[in-house]
Amino acid sequence: MERSFKKEVELLKLGDGETFHGEGILAVTKALLQSGVAYVGGYQGAPVSHVMDVLNDARDILDDLGVHVETNANEAGAAAMLGASINYPIRGAVAFKSTVGTNVASDALSNLASAGVRGGALVVLGEDYGEGSSIIQERSHAFAMKSQMWLLDPRPNLPKIVEMVEKGFELSEASNTPVMLELRIRACHVHGTFTTKKNLGSKNSKKNPIAEPDFDFGRISLPPATYAQEKHKIEVRWPAAVAFIRKNKLNEVFAGAMSDTGIVCQGGMYNAVIRALQLLGLADAFGATRVPIYCMNVAYPMIPEETVAFCADKKRVLVVEEGQPAFIEDALQAALRRADANLTKVHGKDMLPLGGEYTGEVVLTGISRFLNRDVEINAVKKLKTRATELLGTVPARPPGFCVGCPERPVFAAMKVAEKATGAFHISADIGCHTFATLPPFNIGHTVLGYGLGLASNSAVDTMFGKRTLTIMGDGGFWHNGLTSGIANSVFNKDDGILVIMKNGYSSATGTQELPSSPQHSESKSDDMAIERALAGVGVGWVKTVDNYRVGDVAKVLKDAMSTEYKGLKVIIAEGECQLERQRKLRPVVAKQLSEGKRTIKVKYGVDEDTCTGDHSCIRLSGCPTLTIKDNPDPLRRDPVATVIDGCVGCGLCGENAHAAVLCPSFYRAEIIQNPGFFDKALNKLRNAFRGTTIHQRN
Amino acid sequence: MNLPDRPITILIAALGGEGGGVMADWLIDASAQCGFPAQSTSIPGVAQRTGATTYYLEVFPATVSQLNGRQPVFSLTASPGNVDIMVASELIEAGRAMQNGFVNPERTTLIASTHRIYATIEKMQMADGRFDSSRVVDAGRQLAKQAILFDMRKLAEDSGTVINAVLFGAMAGSGALPLTREACEQAIRGGGRGAEASLRGFTSGFDIAAGAHPTPQSPAPPKHASEIGEIMRLGIERLTDYQGAAYADLFLERMKFFQDKDKKLSSETARHLALWMAYEDIIRVADLKTRASRFERVRKEVGAKEGEPVVVIDFLKPGIEELASLLPHFLGKRLISWAQARGKLDAYNIGMHIKTSGVFGYLMVRSLAWLKPWRPHSFRYQEEQEMIEHWLARVAEAAQRSPALALEVAQCATLLKGYGETHRRGKANFLALMDALVDNPATADTVEQAGAIRKAREAALADPEGKALGGALGKPVTWLKQVGRT
Repeated sequence: MERSFKKEVELLKLGDGETFHGEGILAVTKALLQSGVAYVGGYQGAPVSHVMDVLNDARDILDDLGVHVETNANEAGAAAMLGASINYPIRGAVAFKSTVGTNVASDALSNLASAGVRGGALVVLGEDYGEGSSIIQERSHAFAMKSQMWLLDPRPNLPKIVEMVEKGFELSEASNTPVMLELRIRACHVHGTFTTKKNLGSKNSKKNPIAEPDFDFGRISLPPATYAQEKHKIEVRWPAAVAFIRKNKLNEVFAGAMSDTGIVCQGGMYNAVIRALQLLGLADAFGATRVPIYCMNVAYPMIPEETVAFCADKKRVLVVEEGQPAFIEDALQAALRRADANLTKVHGKDMLPLGGEYTGEVVLTGISRFLNRDVEINAVKKLKTRATELLGTVPARPPGFCVGCPERPVFAAMKVAEKATGAFHISADIGCHTFATLPPFNIGHTVLGYGLGLASNSAVDTMFGKRTLTIMGDGGFWHNGLTSGIANSVFNKDDGILVIMKNGYSSATGTQELPSSPQHSESKSDDMAIERALAGVGVGWVKTVDNYRVGDVAKVLKDAMSTEYKGLKVIIAEGECQLERQRKLRPVVAKQLSEGKRTIKVKYGVDEDTCTGDHSCIRLSGCPTLTIKDNPDPLRRDPVATVIDGCVGCGLCGENAHAAVLCPSFYRAEIIQNPGFFDKALNKLRNAFRGTTIHQRN
Repeated sequence: MNLPDRPITILIAALGGEGGGVMADWLIDASAQCGFPAQSTSIPGVAQRTGATTYYLEVFPATVSQLNGRQPVFSLTASPGNVDIMVASELIEAGRAMQNGFVNPERTTLIASTHRIYATIEKMQMADGRFDSSRVVDAGRQLAKQAILFDMRKLAEDSGTVINAVLFGAMAGSGALPLTREACEQAIRGGGRGAEASLRGFTSGFDIAAGAHPTPQSPAPPKHASEIGEIMRLGIERLTDYQGAAYADLFLERMKFFQDKDKKLSSETARHLALWMAYEDIIRVADLKTRASRFERVRKEVGAKEGEPVVVIDFLKPGIEELASLLPHFLGKRLISWAQARGKLDAYNIGMHIKTSGVFGYLMVRSLAWLKPWRPHSFRYQEEQEMIEHWLARVAEAAQRSPALALEVAQCATLLKGYGETHRRGKANFLALMDALVDNPATADTVEQAGAIRKAREAALADPEGKALGGALGKPVTWLKQVGRT
C-alpha cells in the first residue's frame, strides 16, 4: 500500500468525549464504528481509497469489535454484500468512488433497494467531480432517484459528516431503505476535528452469531414480491423517511434578515455559499447570514413541506445545486407549483453554470448575479486579465507515469512496433496506463470503463483489415476483465490481442493488494496467478515479457500482430509498480550501505556533447527525470536532454535508444559504493589506461 | 475583543510527490499549537502521479478561548483574489496560480521556488519549447503584494532535505503567516523522521524570506556565442579538433562571402556552418565518448563520491547507415540505395552495450575514433559537404535579395539534428523545405517568403514525427512546389 495508516488507526480507538483530528474520510470510518456496524467493505478509488486502506490496517480493532472487513472484488460485489442487512438487523457499510463505482454497483443496489433492509445499510460515495477528477462527470443523484435510495449530502465539516453517518443508519432502519452518503473529493480530504463517541459492537456479528436464517419471500427480487416491494417503497418507506428527516431536522434552516430572498443549497455547497455571502458583506466568518439559507443535508428525497415553507414567503430563491441535470431545482419548481406557491421566482441554473464543479469562484459569481452585486467579480476578472497579459498561457501539466514506471516502456514498444506494422487501433482501459493517452505517447483510442478494455474491442477489432490491440491492467483484470473480456473473447472465438499490464497492484488508487500481487498481507490468500486464470478459461496464446526490454516487447507485439494463430492472444507485460518497488528497496539499500556492504547504484545519463537537442528520446519516454537543460555548447541554442536526480535506473532511456535506434548519447553508469579490493584494483588498471598517451591525441 | 473578520487563506500549488501534503499537515499542526482553528483540504486523486495539484488551507487567527465557542465556517476551495499566501513549489505553478487570479496585489504574498521542472509538452519539442521563466518572475513581482522568489530546490538540496521544508520556512519568515516560528518548528519536530533535516531547510528558507540572509542568486545560464568574432573563433577551434587545420581553413573559406554582410546573418550562418561541418558521425561520437574529460563529467553527473569506481556502459546500435557512412563514396552510396529500396535501413542494426570504462570497451570505441584521417574519403563526408555547399549557396543567393530572407534560409540548418531515423526525417524535412520554399518559392516578395520559411520550419520543429509536414505544412509544400514549376 502506498501509505501506512498506523497513526490513523489509533484515531479509530478514541472513546467518549475525545477529540479526533484528521481527514474527513477517516472521520466517516470512525463514525461507522460509532454506529455499531457489523461489516464493512468496498472498492478502492479516489477519494475513498483511504477507507479501505485504514480498515485493512485496523484489523485488530475491528476483530475486537467483531466487525467483518471484506476487500470486495469490485463495487458490484461491495453493494451485493449489503444483502446481509436485508434479512437481519445488522448494520453494514461499503465505500466506493462515484459515479463510476455506483455504475458498476447499480445492479446490486437496485435489488437491495427493492428488497429493502432491516439493518441499516450505508453506501459511502466518494464523489470524484470537478478539478483533479479522473473520471466521467455525472451525478450520483440519479441513482438515488431511480432506485429510491436516500442520498445524504452533509455540510462539509467533520461534526456534521459524522452526525449524518449516524443518522443515516437510523434513517435506513426507520424507512427500511439503503442510504447513500455522498462526499465530494475535497470533503473527503478535509482536515478537521470532532468529538468522538466510543465504538459500538453490533448485536449480531462475527462474535455474536445469528441464531436462525430468516426466510421471507417478500424480500426476494422476483414477481410478485417485486410489485409489492415497489408499492411498499412508495407507500411506506418514502413517507417513513420523510417523517424521520423532518422529525430529526436533518435539513437545516439558517435564518437571515433579508426575508424576501433565500438560498436553497445542497449540504456540500453550504460552505461555498457562506463564503460567497461573506465576500459580498452579507455574512460573517461564523456563518451568521443576512440571506436565509435552506441547507439540504438530505439531497434526496426532497421534503416538500420544508421547501415550500422556506420559499413561499420569498420573492426570489436561488438553488445552488452542483452538477446536471438540475434535479433539485426541478423538484423545487414542481413542489411550489403543487402547493400553489406561485409567487416565488426560482433561480438556479440560469445564474450558475449547468455543469462543472461549483468552486468558491463559481458560487460567488452566481450569487453576485442573483443579488445584483458584481463588484467583487469585476475585480477578479481584472486580475486574471492582467495575469494573462503578463504571462500568456502557461503550459499544462497533467498527471503522468512515475519515474521508472514499468508501463511506460510498453507504450514506447508500441510506438516502435507501430513503425513496422503501421498504426493500429488501441482499445484502452482504466488505470495508470490511461495516462498513455496524454503526450508524449497519445496511445489509446477509446476508454469504456474499468476492466472493459477487451470487451470494448470486440466489435472494432473486426472492422479493420488487420489486428487491433487492447490494454488492461491487472486491477481491471480482477475487477471484471477476466469474465467480461477474456472469457468472453475466447468464447466468441475473437481474434484479439490483449496486453495485460501486470504491475502487481491496484496502482492508480494507491497500490492496494490484488489477488495476483507478489506478496500478500495475512488476511489475503496467496498464489492467485493471472497465468493460471488465463489457462483456466482456455487462452491458448500467452507470452510473458519483461517490460523494460523494449525491443523484446516490440517484437512480441509484432509477433502477435502477424501470427497465424486465430484466437485471443495475451501478452503479459510484467514489471513491478516502481512506487512499491522503491518503497521496498529503499530501506534495504540504506541498510546495505550503512553496513559497509558493496552496493551498485545505477544511474542513466546523457552525454551533452553528443546530444543534438532533438528530444526524440523524450518523445518516446516522458520520464519525469529525463528532461532538458540549457545547452552548454556556446554554438548551440536548443536545450540538451539530461537525466536529473531521482532516476531509479530502470534503464528505459537506454532501451529506447536501442529499440528505436535513436542516438548514442545515453550511458548507464554503475557507481560501486563501498567498493571491494577487486573493484579498486580493476579501477586502477582502467584508469591507467584512460587519460594516458592513448587518449592525449590532439 | 475584536475578532478578525476573516481567516487567513493559504493556497499551495505543488507537483505530485513533492510533500505538499506533509506541508499542509505541518501548517495544521502549527495552527493547533497556536490554538487557532484551521482546516486543510486537497484534491490528490490521480494528480499525485507527477501532475499539478493544490492544497488549500484556512487558518482563523483567534484562539479557541477568544472565539468563545464560535466556529468559523471554512471554505473548501480557494477563491480568486482572496488568497493571503500563495505558495508554489515550482515556477510555472506560480504562473498558473497567477493566471487563475490567486495572486492579488492588495493581499497576496507569493512564495515560489524559481527552479523549473519542465512539463512534457515543453520537453518534447524538437527545438526549444520551454516557457520563458523570466515572464513568470516579472509577473510575480508585479502582481503580488510581496514576492519571495528564489531557487528553493537548490537550498533544499544543500540542506539535505526536500523542498517543502524550505517553502514552509519561507512562509514563516515572510511575516504573512499568523503562526509563530516556534509553533512551526514544533510541528516539524512532531512529524518525526527526517525532522532534523527539515528544520535545517526550514531555517534556511526562513532566514532568506525574513531578510536575514540575502536571496541566493541563480547561477548564470551557459553563455551563448552570438558575436561573429567569437563564433568564428569557436568554429575554427571545433573544426580543427574535428578534422584538423585544413578543415578549419575550409570553414574560413566558406565564410568569406559573408564577412561584410549583415551581422546577424553572418554570425548565424557561421554558427550553423560550424555545427554542420562538425556533423556527428560515428567517428566523432567515438572520439567524444572516449575523452578523459567525458569520464570526469559522468562521475560528476551521477554524483559518484571520491573512491567510488564508476563503470560506464554506452548504448550503441550501429547499422547500415553507420557502416555506409564510413565506406568510400561509391560503395556507401550503393549500399544506402540498396537498403533504401528494400526498406532495410534499420534492419541490421547491432545493439551493443559497450563498457567504455573498461579496457576492451575503451579500445573498441577508441579505435573508431582513430579512423579520423579516413573521414574525408568517406561517403558521409562527401554527402554532407555537397549539402552544405548547396545550402550555403542558397543563403548567399538570398542574401543578395534580403538579409532577413537569407537569415531564414540559414536557420533551416537547425532541422538537421539527431541520429538515425530522427536525422533522416530532419534531413527530409530540410530538403522538402528548401525545395518548396527556397528553390521554388510561390512568391517574389522576400518578406512573405521569409515568413513562409519560418512558419514551415517552426511547424517541422514543433511536430517532428511528421504529422505537421503531412498535414498543415504538407499541403502547402506540395502545393507551392507545383505552383513553382508551372
